[in-house]
Amino acid sequence: MTATTIAPAPAPARSKASFGVMTPVRYLFALLIVGVTVAPLFFVILGGFRSNAQINSDPAGLPSPWVFSNYAAILVSESFWRFLANSTLISVAATVLAVGLGSMAAFALSRYRFRGREALYSMFTVGLLFPLGVAILPVYLLLRQLHLLESWIGVALPQAAFALPVTIIILRPFMAAIPTEIEDAAVMDGATRLGFFWRILLPLSRPALVTVSVLAFITSWNGYLLPLLVFNDPANFTVPLGVATFQSQYAQDTASILAFTALSIVPALVFFIFAERHIVGGLTGSVKG
Amino acid sequence: MSTITAVVTRDVTTAAGSPSPQGAPRRRSHLRKRLELALLLGPATLLFVTFVFLPLVAAAYYSLFDWNGFGPLVDFVGLDNYTKALGDPLFQGAISHNLFIVIASLVVQLPLSIALALLLNGKIKGRTALRLLVFAPYVLSEAVTAVIWLSLLQPNGVVDGLLEGAGLGGLVQLWLADQNIVMLTLFAVITWKYIGFGIILFLAGLQGVPEELREAAQIDGATGWQTTRLIVLPLLGPTIRIWVFLSIIGSLQLFDLVWIMTLGGPAGASTTMASYLIDRGFRRYEFGFGSAVAIILFAICFVFALFYQRFALRRDTQGAITGRVE
Amino acid sequence: MNTRSTRKYVAAGAVALMSLGALSGCSGGDGDSADGTTTLTFWHNGTTEPIQSIWQDAVDEYEKANPDITIDVVPIQNEDIDTKIPLALSSDSPPDIYFSRGGGQLATQAQSGQIADITEYTSDWIGDLGKAADNWAVDGVQHGVPYASQVVGFWYRTDLFAQAGITSTPTTLDELNDTVDKLKAAGIAPIAVGGKDRWPDAFYYNSFAVRECGEDVLKKGLAEGDLSDECFTKAGQDVIDFIATEPFQEGFNGTPAQQGAGSSAGLVANGGAAMELQGTWHKSVMQGLTDTDLDPLVGWFPFPEVDGGEGDPSATLGGGDGFACTQKHAEECADFLEFLSNDDIQSELVESQVVAIPVKEAAAATITDPVMKSVYDFNTEAAYIATYFDVALPTAAGSALNDAVANLFAGKGTAESVAEAVKAAE
Repeated sequence: MTATTIAPAPAPARSKASFGVMTPVRYLFALLIVGVTVAPLFFVILGGFRSNAQINSDPAGLPSPWVFSNYAAILVSESFWRFLANSTLISVAATVLAVGLGSMAAFALSRYRFRGREALYSMFTVGLLFPLGVAILPVYLLLRQLHLLESWIGVALPQAAFALPVTIIILRPFMAAIPTEIEDAAVMDGATRLGFFWRILLPLSRPALVTVSVLAFITSWNGYLLPLLVFNDPANFTVPLGVATFQSQYAQDTASILAFTALSIVPALVFFIFAERHIVGGLTGSVKG
Repeated sequence: MSTITAVVTRDVTTAAGSPSPQGAPRRRSHLRKRLELALLLGPATLLFVTFVFLPLVAAAYYSLFDWNGFGPLVDFVGLDNYTKALGDPLFQGAISHNLFIVIASLVVQLPLSIALALLLNGKIKGRTALRLLVFAPYVLSEAVTAVIWLSLLQPNGVVDGLLEGAGLGGLVQLWLADQNIVMLTLFAVITWKYIGFGIILFLAGLQGVPEELREAAQIDGATGWQTTRLIVLPLLGPTIRIWVFLSIIGSLQLFDLVWIMTLGGPAGASTTMASYLIDRGFRRYEFGFGSAVAIILFAICFVFALFYQRFALRRDTQGAITGRVE
Repeated sequence: MNTRSTRKYVAAGAVALMSLGALSGCSGGDGDSADGTTTLTFWHNGTTEPIQSIWQDAVDEYEKANPDITIDVVPIQNEDIDTKIPLALSSDSPPDIYFSRGGGQLATQAQSGQIADITEYTSDWIGDLGKAADNWAVDGVQHGVPYASQVVGFWYRTDLFAQAGITSTPTTLDELNDTVDKLKAAGIAPIAVGGKDRWPDAFYYNSFAVRECGEDVLKKGLAEGDLSDECFTKAGQDVIDFIATEPFQEGFNGTPAQQGAGSSAGLVANGGAAMELQGTWHKSVMQGLTDTDLDPLVGWFPFPEVDGGEGDPSATLGGGDGFACTQKHAEECADFLEFLSNDDIQSELVESQVVAIPVKEAAAATITDPVMKSVYDFNTEAAYIATYFDVALPTAAGSALNDAVANLFAGKGTAESVAEAVKAAE
């Protein structure tokens, strides 16, 4: 945690137990949470390993015997991988744009002094109150005028734009918290301000950058309404659209729907697992200043 | 997310000791600074103005017309769409449903996520795995969440089966078909989906509570509950206030889950402001009217944000909405 | 940053963005390429088999016979297509050929100014389709061509009827109530309805109105969006009274119509309910939701007579599926639609049971299933067909009607509330 090193506040001892006692109660409580949060997920994942006959006779049962053909059929289907590729392209583009442009803007808004700075910042934060779902109609009409319908750019650009408020709101204070002395030292070494931003500030902001990346990525990955309206050609569909299409196309095949749904969860989950350490770390760093 | 804003902002001013990052005098040509600012701010501003700000202005403009989305905007009706929307019992119902979610979230999700964050902050085996599991639903798309819960909640489905198996058959309800139950059901699903976000936020906030304080309190004979109430909660204050802000804004804008699970039914019993908007816009092609609803929704959020910032957030920071770093 | 430089920068960037847009717009093209071939875009809602292949095969065949035409086939889910078509029609590149149910919906779409007048291109052959084609004309101007007609009636499970000791299908409302009672006594959910989606609820109000109202009153009311005649109030009361007999499955207000085994169609398909008031497409929808062969298990009967009603007892609620043309390639579109309505394709649609009532009489000879044949005959002999109210009315009013009927199903509203909702939406 880079931020900790520059934090003037004492680093808290995370390893120490905060409350030593009541362990059994804790474990029971923990078990309960796990049950409630995870059971629905297991229902989906395990359901994909069952046959339709098994599911129809007992909706809540375990696979017996285990059926692997549902997952296998989807994993060898071309369309599943195409949905995955489309979603990846759009989400990566939206994330890179939002975090790239957002960090530049946050740098200017946090470490430059100029007239209209707070007005500009307020404008970005107001975006938080006007989410894509509410803005969808005018956004659609705009995309039409820009000839961006049926194009992945037409999804990635608005998603990046709507991710900017959160990105800037998180990054700005984080960047402001990095002591002036570090910048002064960099300037003494001959760095320009942009050089300082690129070589020192961005690396120092890594935890916060990971946090905003995860938020932008997940939001884009899960987006439904915008891609639904932008894309008509199934070849362009993203994963959530693919799930919906698959669901209505194979309505009688519950097991395959569950398998498809389970597989659609995997990429976002894997991405999150890799980033999780940085998220708590990132927030921790910023909370400590 | 602005938790971070508020918390950090506070810490910046108190801890960094240098309230203004631009404090040191620098010799730099004015022109160069302008160029740098244009380079840094231009792209983000352009993107934001094009896809967020222009649509907002456009929606305000469309809202003054009776327009079905086809052809030119000719039928100017002034504020008729606004009076019509605000006078529609269905929209009034939608506002009350949003308010229900707002209040239920504060009463249920807030204590629950703090409790879970405290639990997950403690020394417990498999803590990392637990954190991941609790956060997993947050990663799912709303569409997938709805698909999962629709199949679990259907009459004689898994949920009913489990309740009967546990001898609680009397609790079985028509989860999505009963007008008196449907909002409660949706709230449960919302809680399942979004609780992980609150937990992560509070976990981060807890890292800022110095361990020494808690230990000192315990040495002084305070119970775990007393420590929590007297020391941890006050120090979590800024995080709580921002969570409340985000939760209320999110509750006011609730859409995806409702739309996929109930379409706002039965008989409008789960209609929210946003689902009302999409229903009017895309099912009835009343695009001018739908735009008016979008502006009303924005205005409600905006007014709330201003008040909240003035009366609650001010204690932590100059505010997330019109916040200042200095 | 001062405001002037901000503005300048924004302007420069906007230009850049526009050119980016123009660039990607070019790749789309307008469908006419330099080598003289024309590309048509064709949107249909047949995302499931067998209909998806039927349309694709038809397109392949048409392209072979017309080397200068290329057709881009875009299958779109039925739930999405009603959202996408109006948006596409308000854009500058709408599909050339698109799925349409005709009626007031098509009239609303025609307000976009994008819909083609194909009267002159179709005049030679549209007469072969009979009255069905009228529904794709607005004020005498032909905009599209149907490929199937539909009527609404009760699909029922013969095995469950037998199990409840029911020997004949009900022909009057009293008999229907009697049937419901017998099924309940046998522990069977009598009627399934997909209340979540609202339009299935509306079939009840619409069907009662067809029975209560005379033909002229009905057609005038729908044409003018004015349902204030007393017979519509009676229909509203009929719905309220019928719901009061509790004929529907548990939790019907939250049940989707067609999605998954838990839908109302899935319930009937899997024997979880005995009957459902649905259109002629319903048998193939149900078959898609079960592995059991439904041919021997499913029967059909029309909406029962209502005592004292002014409507002709042989009249029915119905409509059709077809395609409409937009302006850019109106002539090519009309030519393709003529090809689509040829006897071979019509027969193929019938054989696959996707279409119960072909618009070409010749194709009716291929109906072999006795149940489907009885549906076809009922349609042929019907005094008149009243178009689904939500299609007949302008879109906003039609949607308001569905919502108001759904409210009745949830116990909200009065016998007049449907007429009031339609009036408010006009």
